[in-house]
Amino acid sequence: MPKMRKIIVKCSPVLMGVAEGEALVTKQPLCLYDSLDPKSGLIMNRRHELYGENVSRKVLIFPYGTGSTTSSATILQASRCNKAPNAIINLETEPTIAIGALLAERLYGKLIPIVDKPEINPVEVIKKGDLVKVDANAGLIEVIKKQHSRPHRPAQQIHKI
Amino acid sequence: MFLTADEEAVLNGECGEGPEIAMSVLAKLGDIYKADRMIKVESVHIDGAAYGWISDAGLELVERFCSAGATFRVPTTLNPSSIDFNIWRELHIPTSIAEKQFRLARAFKKMGAIPTWTCAPYQSGANLRCGQNIAWGESNAVTFANTVVGARTEKLGDLADICAGVLGKYPEFGLYLDENRRGQILFEINGLDANSFTCTDYGVLGFFIGSTAGARVPVVTGIPGNVTPDQLKAFCTAAAVGGSVSLCHICGVTPGSRTIAEACGGTKPEEKISVGLNELNETWEKLNTIQEERPEVICVGCPHCSIEELVKVAHIIRGKKVEKDVRLLVFTSRIAKTLAHKMGLIDIIEAAGGEVIADTCWNFVPIKRQRVAMTDSVKLAWVSLHKFTDVILNSTEKCIETALGTRS
Repeated sequence: MPKMRKIIVKCSPVLMGVAEGEALVTKQPLCLYDSLDPKSGLIMNRRHELYGENVSRKVLIFPYGTGSTTSSATILQASRCNKAPNAIINLETEPTIAIGALLAERLYGKLIPIVDKPEINPVEVIKKGDLVKVDANAGLIEVIKKQHSRPHRPAQQIHKI
Repeated sequence: MFLTADEEAVLNGECGEGPEIAMSVLAKLGDIYKADRMIKVESVHIDGAAYGWISDAGLELVERFCSAGATFRVPTTLNPSSIDFNIWRELHIPTSIAEKQFRLARAFKKMGAIPTWTCAPYQSGANLRCGQNIAWGESNAVTFANTVVGARTEKLGDLADICAGVLGKYPEFGLYLDENRRGQILFEINGLDANSFTCTDYGVLGFFIGSTAGARVPVVTGIPGNVTPDQLKAFCTAAAVGGSVSLCHICGVTPGSRTIAEACGGTKPEEKISVGLNELNETWEKLNTIQEERPEVICVGCPHCSIEELVKVAHIIRGKKVEKDVRLLVFTSRIAKTLAHKMGLIDIIEAAGGEVIADTCWNFVPIKRQRVAMTDSVKLAWVSLHKFTDVILNSTEKCIETALGTRS
């Protein structure tokens, strides 16, 4: 049995659904419109620390959206191109983000669960590559820490509810 | 969220598929943001009117609304398109893009939109009053409407604005409610002569305030009462792009906010921040990515130039010539360009070698050699690094003088 560290964080549901994926995390606010190329899923903004990363099928974690209101159309188009993140975690979800995901559900039947107001700032407990399950229905984020190649440490389980 | 019997009927599809889609999405949005009800709005501004912004997904949605017979229930203006409808070929915009923009234009026309194609509808085509509930997209326009006019709007996400136009309604949350409009963080301008500020200086000030305020509603003192609408446009645009500001109480300018106490709705600001030369210089350094380098593209008109700004550009450029290896691009609305044309200003700018482009945004104009750009717009400086390698930020005067090679 491989060692595993599991963390559970309570949060508020924004858009219902359950999804999981590898974490892509930033502490910087993100404007999806001027950062995300919806056709490839790549972050194209050189000023952003996620520059060069791909959001497709990830659990995308950023504090809040900034700037352009076009971000909703960017999410919808990414969803149409199958390059949307599997789920989104924010400190505070802006309507711009929510409306893109709502339209993706209504027009393409594609769910992008969104949660916000996590009880712990996700940047502090989730690192890039961790496996994250977002259960918006239950208002829970489940984090399984990425395995680091440091042998001989006992498996550890932390439940924080 | 409570829905009236009429709204329930819309949700059940009794008014057709268009209103049903719009209501289903906006009712869910209202639930998420804990709105109690839908409210009537008197004006809608559609941010995502350009194919380049809303892509195929947006085009599909608009055409679906249109073919279902949905129309806009209130005056609905449009943000810039992907093309200048008159000179898109000369601008080397691909036919494939233009065709999709024409499809969008046809659908919007059938739905009854007012084809302003501008990001500054408050200067060209939209008529507002203080206290009115409106449903606007485009962050600069939202911030101007809330801050300068005293109308009330949330910052609508693209496509939510189209839904709002189809219904003439939007869920009541956020900035539609008094309690969310109160000022929370105070910025005091100290040791600066705001009377000598250019539009670009106002942009830098707005960006500092926007990026510092975070999610809080800022209040600012020290802006003179004779500040121009164009300066306020630059300020609001930069405040919105620097953070998530959609309303900033400018004491003495914003309706109902003559004093700090009025701006804060009787409460005290949580924090007080002094803004001086250091703050502005540091902000400018963040935005200006390169020191003295010769720009190859010079862009003014982000947001679109007003007629007053076109007068100013023509005044500086009259009788001179833009340098051979430089492109001077001036972006404006069709309304302002038409007025300017009648005033002889377009002839003056074009004779000097400048290009006046209407209906569209710098974002969509193909630039052959992607190198250094110069602009008077904080927004352009902040969001254009996908298009330019570096951006020089300076006043409108300095931008034009640089284009002419006459800058001292």
